[in-house]
Amino acid sequence: MLRTLSVLGVVLVSLVGLAQAPIEITVWWHTGHPSELAVITAFVEEFNAKQNEVRVKLVTIPEAEYTAQVRAAGLAGKLPDVLDLDGPTMANFVWNGWLIPLDPYLTDELLADFLPSIIAQGTYPPDGKIYALGQFDSGLAIWGNREYLEKAGVRIPTSVDDAWTLAEFEDALRQLAALPEVKWPLDLKLNYGVGEWFTYGFSPIIQAFGGDLIDRTTWKAEGTLDGAASVLGMTLLQYWIKQGWVVPATAGDDAFYGKKTAALAWVGHWMYGPHKEGLGDDLVLIPMPKLGAGCRAATGMGSWAWGITSISKHPDAAWKFIEYLLQPEQILRLTNANGAVPARKSAIAMSPLYKPGAMLDIYAQQLETIPIPRPVFPGYPTITSAFAEAVQNIIAGADVYEELHKAALKIDQDIKENEGYPPFGK
Amino acid sequence: MIASFRKFLPAKVKEELAAWSMLSPALLLLIGFLIIPFAMAIIFSFTTKRLVSPLPTRFVGLDNYVRLFADPAFWQALRNNAVFAGIVVPIQSGLGLLLATLVNRKIPGRNVFRGIYFMPVVIPMVVVCVAWYFVLTYPEGLLNTFVKILTFGKAGPYDWLRAPSLALPTIILISIWQGVGFQMVIYLAGLQSIPEELYEASRIDGASAWQQFIHVTLPCLRNTHIFVLVTTTILAFKLFTQVEVLTQGGPRGGTNTVVRYIYVAGYRELRIGYASAAAVIFVLTVLVVSVLQRILVKEEREAL
Repeated sequence: MLRTLSVLGVVLVSLVGLAQAPIEITVWWHTGHPSELAVITAFVEEFNAKQNEVRVKLVTIPEAEYTAQVRAAGLAGKLPDVLDLDGPTMANFVWNGWLIPLDPYLTDELLADFLPSIIAQGTYPPDGKIYALGQFDSGLAIWGNREYLEKAGVRIPTSVDDAWTLAEFEDALRQLAALPEVKWPLDLKLNYGVGEWFTYGFSPIIQAFGGDLIDRTTWKAEGTLDGAASVLGMTLLQYWIKQGWVVPATAGDDAFYGKKTAALAWVGHWMYGPHKEGLGDDLVLIPMPKLGAGCRAATGMGSWAWGITSISKHPDAAWKFIEYLLQPEQILRLTNANGAVPARKSAIAMSPLYKPGAMLDIYAQQLETIPIPRPVFPGYPTITSAFAEAVQNIIAGADVYEELHKAALKIDQDIKENEGYPPFGK
Repeated sequence: MIASFRKFLPAKVKEELAAWSMLSPALLLLIGFLIIPFAMAIIFSFTTKRLVSPLPTRFVGLDNYVRLFADPAFWQALRNNAVFAGIVVPIQSGLGLLLATLVNRKIPGRNVFRGIYFMPVVIPMVVVCVAWYFVLTYPEGLLNTFVKILTFGKAGPYDWLRAPSLALPTIILISIWQGVGFQMVIYLAGLQSIPEELYEASRIDGASAWQQFIHVTLPCLRNTHIFVLVTTTILAFKLFTQVEVLTQGGPRGGTNTVVRYIYVAGYRELRIGYASAAAVIFVLTVLVVSVLQRILVKEEREAL
């Protein structure tokens, strides 16, 4: 009798314990910069500590092969519950059926607080649902060395309206090149190699001229990617390199902030930390120049965002974690570390880096006026791969039209092979 | 029950059964990881198979092959592979033989030298590439500074990895540096199997060191030569890591190789069908080259 009771008691207690056992979810994160890694790890630890219903297991995967790993996992059916994804890959992931809409969890006031670019990045056009939300958006502008700019007598713009025109920009490059300390006036981060940077960093050049990677209504690349405007944009890039104004790919990463042999750095927000450390008060942020006719400028946008996979057995628990990540305090901690634009207006208001007049405010201004998202299209992997290879050949001196034309044909061939990525292109 | 059944089998069958059961693990692995994937690749090469896609795969016949042969980038990659193999195989094998004869002599500390020459082989190629990247930095990397000192500043800094005429030679240099220890070890084993009496006999006949090398060492190493030739050729055709990490196939496809071409088409552009076609052609090419090598070397043997 006593034995039966005690056995029953143990069973009951363990059942109760099981019922309250936290739900385990796996979260994949691309390993960004070390400063970001520290913050994300802290997020996970604090989330696990402050409540008992959900337990997060963080898996970090190096950024270079992150998207490929996600694809391999998707193919094998072994995706995690939550993953972060590079904005432009969202359409391809949704097309493959790997993400679930976040709409059931979103309230109107939450949506209203997000930047329109974040909402646009995460919305899948065919059904208009939101599949990914980012904690931050990216900023792309030109970092400058104030000391060199003043020495060369170059005007430093203070706002997006005030940006350099193409003539001013090239004059500035010429004058900076004449300084004895400057070996190459402009660092375009060619050392990043063939990859997403070429598309993110340089498609704004062709977009400033009115060109684009692909026609976003007919989803055809030929005629747009190899059209006159795009060819003009890339010819300009090739011209800057031929003039010897650009840091070579093999010269390493730190020509701007380490060796100080470059006066300008055309790179995104993620270099805020190293640049601040290397240049201190000499660091300035200059808006993207108005390269195009009619003084048109363009900048890149889009960055990493969080989504819940269709394989997840605990979408509610997954949302709890994402909701925590998207709180303004957490967003601020991350953007203070990586210099990115906070995704929520309430966070921007609280951010010391984004006050009106603060240095990084240029990013926020640009996001309101001149950003052009990379195409939200399931065929984006081929678009970016083909364009990046074309850019690499153009940098090495190949004929601009030939390379862009080859890339356009490749993209169109891929779209044809995928029957236009239904329901797009119909 | 089976054990008692085996008693009644003839000895020959028992032997064969034992042989097959000992072969089976290796055979299963080979079939599972080599034969089946290759058969799948052949099948995929006639379809529009994608790495990931909700669309059904369609059979398109020789479409992929037609497009492959019409792509100048593929021919350029094949050409690069041929040039690379044509230079690396003789030089790396020759250097391997030279180093092997050096460390085969009874000098003090020869094991230390053997270790030093072999060390690059055990370092993963990606690590080798990253280390060499810093050596080759332009314009003030280690190598450029070295050249500047040696030529008193007359020879300008070279962009080793981006200048069209220097990129492939630089890749060749790095590959030889990393791999020569492998050939050295194989030749060392071959050298140690040459009986000492042959050398004594040749010395008695008045042969100089050079004549001993040509008429005793080289002929006795015939089998080692064949092995080194075939394996180094196959390894040379597999060139991928160096060109992906250091030059990404540039400049303008000047260091692109077939394996990298397959990787970009299949894994980055997600076109598995097309990449499989390239892979099939690649395997056939390497097969033809290896078979040719075996035939030619065999003929030499018989002529003697």
